[in-house]
Amino acid sequence: MSVYITGIGKISVQPSGQSGSAPQYFETRYARCSDPAFSDYINPMEARRMSTIIKRAIVSTQMALGEAGIEMPGAVITGTGLGCIEDTEKFLTSMINDNEKFLKPTYFIHSTHNTISSQVAIRLKCNGYNNTFVHRGISFELALHDAMLLFMQKKVHSALVGGHDEMTPAYFNLLDRIGYWKKEIVSSSSLHTSNSAGSVAGEGSISLVLSDEKSPSAYARITDVSTFYNGNGTTDPSERIEAFLSLNGLKPSDIDLVMTGINGDVNDNNVYYQVLEKTFKNNPAGWYKHLSLEYFTSPAFGLQASAQCLKSGNIPEHLRLKGNFNGKPEHILLYNHFKNRNHSLILLSSC
Amino acid sequence: MQEKVVVTGLGIISAIGLSTDETVKSLLSGVSGVGRISHLDTIHTEIPCAEVQMSDDELRKSLLISADEVITRTSLLGIAAVKEAMRYASLNPDRKLRIGFISGTTVGGMEKSEAYYTDFISNDNHKEYIDAHDCGACTEKIADYFNCFGYVSTISTACSSAANAIILGSELIKNDILDVVVAGGTECLTKFHLNGFNTLMILDSRPCRPFDDSRAGLNLGEGAGYLVLESASVARQRKAEVICTVSGYGNACDAYHQTASSPEGKGAVLAITEALAMASLDPCQVDYINAHGTGTGNNDMSEAQALVTVFGDKLPPFSSTKPFTGHTTSAAGGIESVISILALRHGFLPNNLNFETPMKDLPVVPLTAVNSKVSLKHVLSNSFGFGGNNSTIIFSRQ
Repeated sequence: MSVYITGIGKISVQPSGQSGSAPQYFETRYARCSDPAFSDYINPMEARRMSTIIKRAIVSTQMALGEAGIEMPGAVITGTGLGCIEDTEKFLTSMINDNEKFLKPTYFIHSTHNTISSQVAIRLKCNGYNNTFVHRGISFELALHDAMLLFMQKKVHSALVGGHDEMTPAYFNLLDRIGYWKKEIVSSSSLHTSNSAGSVAGEGSISLVLSDEKSPSAYARITDVSTFYNGNGTTDPSERIEAFLSLNGLKPSDIDLVMTGINGDVNDNNVYYQVLEKTFKNNPAGWYKHLSLEYFTSPAFGLQASAQCLKSGNIPEHLRLKGNFNGKPEHILLYNHFKNRNHSLILLSSC
Repeated sequence: MQEKVVVTGLGIISAIGLSTDETVKSLLSGVSGVGRISHLDTIHTEIPCAEVQMSDDELRKSLLISADEVITRTSLLGIAAVKEAMRYASLNPDRKLRIGFISGTTVGGMEKSEAYYTDFISNDNHKEYIDAHDCGACTEKIADYFNCFGYVSTISTACSSAANAIILGSELIKNDILDVVVAGGTECLTKFHLNGFNTLMILDSRPCRPFDDSRAGLNLGEGAGYLVLESASVARQRKAEVICTVSGYGNACDAYHQTASSPEGKGAVLAITEALAMASLDPCQVDYINAHGTGTGNNDMSEAQALVTVFGDKLPPFSSTKPFTGHTTSAAGGIESVISILALRHGFLPNNLNFETPMKDLPVVPLTAVNSKVSLKHVLSNSFGFGGNNSTIIFSRQ
């Protein structure tokens, strides 16, 4: 079965606008998205009632649908670690501060995680399959896998899959309190060699249009997606990765680029380096979180970056982590894990 | 080759009982779980709710979870129901099986976050609960208790979350990705939900009356409901008793309004129709419908309209069991799937408590008395969520 990525919409911490411009690195503990002019996409009257994450989701959706040249996807599926956390915080704060009195419904209405998928569907008047995955660092991959299942059952010809998370200042502080972020300021370009715990906080909104038909706008083919849980720490990721590849008729040596989720946390990085050493000793490897920074659905950024590589036939220098590769890449394996508990694999091939 | 998906285990905890046995007893004897709030710390004690009759401490004790373990009520309720479901299915965690856990929830760890939020933002007291806030963390707490799941996933589509978890579990089995999946949902009562629904003015100050002309809103509940799903061949291999099959399901989006259903129930019609088509059933073959039936003016009219559109004048016996359990939001699809399957297994039709007067504009009449001597073959459960996330599942006896 072949599923093609035919459209990408991206709002990230990287400068918005033209792609192909030089990447920006960060010397900060926390960066917010570089938002496009929302008024180019959404009527300002409507935009005023929308929270930031909804605006971003709607705009990245429009970008992706526009690029794919379709108006109505067969399904809308969202991955989001925290959902509409901005409105959740607003409702929670006023509930606590005013002791459960004088509350207004607006923030509550928009606080549920499925607001993103719903608002997108309402805007598109899309009555098709609709779902929302909210599982920590694999939320986006679960959404992507759900879409793959729909294609496998031939229930849809196209699907819109998004990875959306916002990092509010309050949530940044909460996660900071429990060690998610580095205490010191480092350049994001050196996160792969970091010896300290914690990553750098980011956010993003990435939408993809998937189709069972290869169109001129197609970037790449998604061959397979898999996630596994290592709650008790006894699973060897390398074994699972090799089994996944073999299920798809491939050997580790067939992979032209292993796109890792290296994020600067020394404990997280070590898991990737062990897998690279054990299974992909001679393969070129890449990374992207120095560009996206870290948030629950950051693997969506990695997927779009990898899809761009396959489309252009070139792996840009700033995505390279190790190894030399000069040919045209054919297979990219995205490997991400969240605290060595949730692991995800996405096999991406050229069209 | 697509595998048939069968149900081999059921687990439930709600205001009407701590097990399937207690649930059946309450349903047959007409005992509602809706009453005064006793566990939730809120100023709105006058609003009727359906709480699980166990404190966190009692739940911890019964599950042998120590008092200092970082765990939220959502996870405790989930563990209680999953434990029953796995025992029901005689599922001994076996490394040779690919076992997954899929849970639906919306509030996640909010119950602790709303209690400790002031600390979260200003000091390190209770900081261990920060990482227990998100939905995925609640699912993993449940998964880790059993230490046998190689796949975990969390779905949040508001009040249809658990139904979508069961649908995904079935798909993973059909596609030979997993052998066994425990799927359903869990949700505890929170101030966040109580106040949220209260601001929407859809909480009835009296026990809820779904499909009644005098209905004035819903009663919130809490609990968890899970099914053990597996492929027919795995069930055969391990000699598990098959309760029923998951014969059809549908997921559609109403795409109408964030908190209101379309007047014609478009998404509901699509979900029900898709489920019937997948099960290869004519509408008249459905023996019982467990309606979403929240008791709000909007939901019940929209759902009734959808039922009439699909079933015409041959509307099967139907009821909402929310007057028993309260509206358990994200857990509802799990709790009501379990109730539907218990009806199928034990041959009874649960009644729609508190119903007296048919709706003027659409006078459909739900089951007004429990019927305990029936033979059912196909039962259908509806779960509809905010944002128009509508899902339907059909369970059939072999």
